[in-house]
Amino acid sequence: MDLNVWPAWPLHFGGLLYAGLALAVTAIVGEVCRRADIPRVAGYALAGLLLGPAALGWFDAGALTTYRGIVDLCVALMLFELGIRLDARWFGANPGLLATAFADIVLALLIVFGALWAAGVDSDLAYAVAAIAVGASPIALMRVASEGRASGQVTDRMYALCALSLAASVILLNLAIGGLHGANRDWLLAIAHPLYQLAGSALGGALIAVAFGAIRKRLNPGSEQGTAAIVAVMLLAVAILTALRLPALLAPLFAGVIVKWRDPRPHLWPPQFGSIGGLLVIISFILAGSTISLDLLAAGAGVAALAIAARTAAKLCASAAFGPATGLDRRKSIALGLALMPLSVVALLQAIDVRSLYPEFGERLLAVVGAMTLVLGILGPIATWRALQRCNELHGGDER
Amino acid sequence: MSLEAFAVSRALSIGVELELQLVGTHDYDLVPVAEDLLRATADADVEGDIKPEMTCSMIEISTGVCDGHASALQQLQALRDTLGSAARRLNIGICGGGTHPFQHWGERRIFDGPRFRHLSELYGYLAKQFTVFGQHVHVGCPSPDVALYLLHGLSRYIPHLIALSASSPFVQGSDTGFESARLNSVLAFPLSGRAPFVQSWADFEAYFRKMSDTGVVSSMKDFYWDIRPKPEYGTIEIRVMDTPLTIARAAAIAAYIQTLARYLMIERPIQVAEDDYLVYTFNRFQACRFGYDGTYVHPETHEHTTIGEEIIASLARIEQHAIELGADVALGRLHSDVTNGSNDARLLRESRASGTPLPELVMAQCARWMKEDAM
Repeated sequence: MDLNVWPAWPLHFGGLLYAGLALAVTAIVGEVCRRADIPRVAGYALAGLLLGPAALGWFDAGALTTYRGIVDLCVALMLFELGIRLDARWFGANPGLLATAFADIVLALLIVFGALWAAGVDSDLAYAVAAIAVGASPIALMRVASEGRASGQVTDRMYALCALSLAASVILLNLAIGGLHGANRDWLLAIAHPLYQLAGSALGGALIAVAFGAIRKRLNPGSEQGTAAIVAVMLLAVAILTALRLPALLAPLFAGVIVKWRDPRPHLWPPQFGSIGGLLVIISFILAGSTISLDLLAAGAGVAALAIAARTAAKLCASAAFGPATGLDRRKSIALGLALMPLSVVALLQAIDVRSLYPEFGERLLAVVGAMTLVLGILGPIATWRALQRCNELHGGDER
Repeated sequence: MSLEAFAVSRALSIGVELELQLVGTHDYDLVPVAEDLLRATADADVEGDIKPEMTCSMIEISTGVCDGHASALQQLQALRDTLGSAARRLNIGICGGGTHPFQHWGERRIFDGPRFRHLSELYGYLAKQFTVFGQHVHVGCPSPDVALYLLHGLSRYIPHLIALSASSPFVQGSDTGFESARLNSVLAFPLSGRAPFVQSWADFEAYFRKMSDTGVVSSMKDFYWDIRPKPEYGTIEIRVMDTPLTIARAAAIAAYIQTLARYLMIERPIQVAEDDYLVYTFNRFQACRFGYDGTYVHPETHEHTTIGEEIIASLARIEQHAIELGADVALGRLHSDVTNGSNDARLLRESRASGTPLPELVMAQCARWMKEDAM
């Protein structure tokens, strides 16, 4: 009788081995960065790239498709927290902030689009890249802020501008997709699809907010059960949104804003869901890195370099021009623009979602966005870190 | 270095300083926004002053020279409203209270200024732990000798003032059991406690010269006494109070001090003596720990009563002076608070006992600070 009691040689390992090694490598790169006074999240982005097809090739693009749910959950949790940090009443008390956000969005869109278009990029691609460039990486910003225990005016405004510009970015990209439908002469779809996405996200956000409110009445969100309940709501939300073919971006962000608007009390749980959140972030960066190959980078590098320069100029101009009117001094205004540099996982997801609808166009978009996140995912968090450091808003302390 | 001359000031004029907490509206922890808030209020046309304090999460407001309760209250209101509108623009909260209930001192940053840097280097972590918030009241004195009489006379009322203003039951996330835990932080400083028993300005100058010769102090600012003379203003400064949760209470306490000062100055009812201080630290501790219910040992008769009873008795003694100063209504409110056994520390503790999480407690403190006429 042939029982499988002895190991076969050579040993056969399941995917768990690679997952474990990848986690270890990413965590170690993050820690090395931390010792060099660079935020960990920059190291995660770097490690994600190294593990992916661009270098070691432990993961390929299939990994993200298989485990997309994990990344979506991570993003949803982050955006929900970002939304709760955004007290919409602030805009009433300080309308200059809305002007800053508006300038940030419009300038980024126009300057990036203009620069690419002038360089001969076709207008569909230039517009889609510009729409994604409008946003900023919520994961990078929030991880940097929590790592340095940031607090202060630049930090608060960074959160607010990140939330608004990301929302705008999602909507603008929806319009781009509508435009692509239109180019295919499908006019009804060109209008109905963006509307469906927006209305669906708004409704989804409202429902998440109601669910959170119900939990909040019964459980302390800081307790173990409370945190589990919030994660459960987000898991359900991501599952339902995905089934409805809605991006899991706007809905959790809207939900957070609604919660804070209706109930201004502090809603506190371990920042970014403590170690669970930290683990999700690491996995997200590994999976994001798995989508980027050297061929892709080579294809997008030129346009990406231009887009990065244009986006940097636009964000700095907007905050330098409007920051002082909102009560920041010149130095902090510029720091705010620098702090908004990171672009990473969410931008990649946006491009990947376009690719799932329009593979050929999406591939070109992903090439540019992938190359942008290579630079802004690693250098961006460093810019955020330094900007907050210069404004004396980091508490120097470590997470634990 | 010698002591500066005692300036001339209007007798019984008062000035009120309040150190305030600056908190974020997301988690209600302290936030380092003093610099932004100062910039936002730099052009405000308001009587009094808005100044930085030791750490970036504190700010101090001070009135100009006031005749009495009404003008002090009015100036504090104007300062509060100015700060309030700037705070809304910055999306921060401002509140009273002697301590922040859950801040972690290790995260505080020292405000960038030569004096604050010097203190931080000298005192190390004590400087950051000194993230506590007090009310200081200046009383104008016609002469330095009168100032010293008043200083020693008022020292009997230190427990009263602590119990009335106490608003710091929580420190670093825990209930300390004290009504004013803030004063425990002050005691860690080497030159804290009471002033030496000297009755003439000439003797005080001699004392200062000796201390200055030791190299331990270079100015009056280096003394963290409960009451200290402030020669440059011609005042004595009473520093034991926690910042109350409302300006109404802060103004009422200032009025109580002014009335006590008038009573002491005009009636000269007591002979001050070194032995008054035998019971000083005991009484002071009782007030910090138990508030109105603390034991008060009379410095002359050595009779034991409660601090609450002593406050009521003192209010009766000074009633005529309160009427003269227009402080009777404010003192009446303090009187009913003592009879009801209510003060800020108890309010906070009751709210906590009913299950309010500490961040929400701070949020309620911010709302209370902005509330018109809350006591």
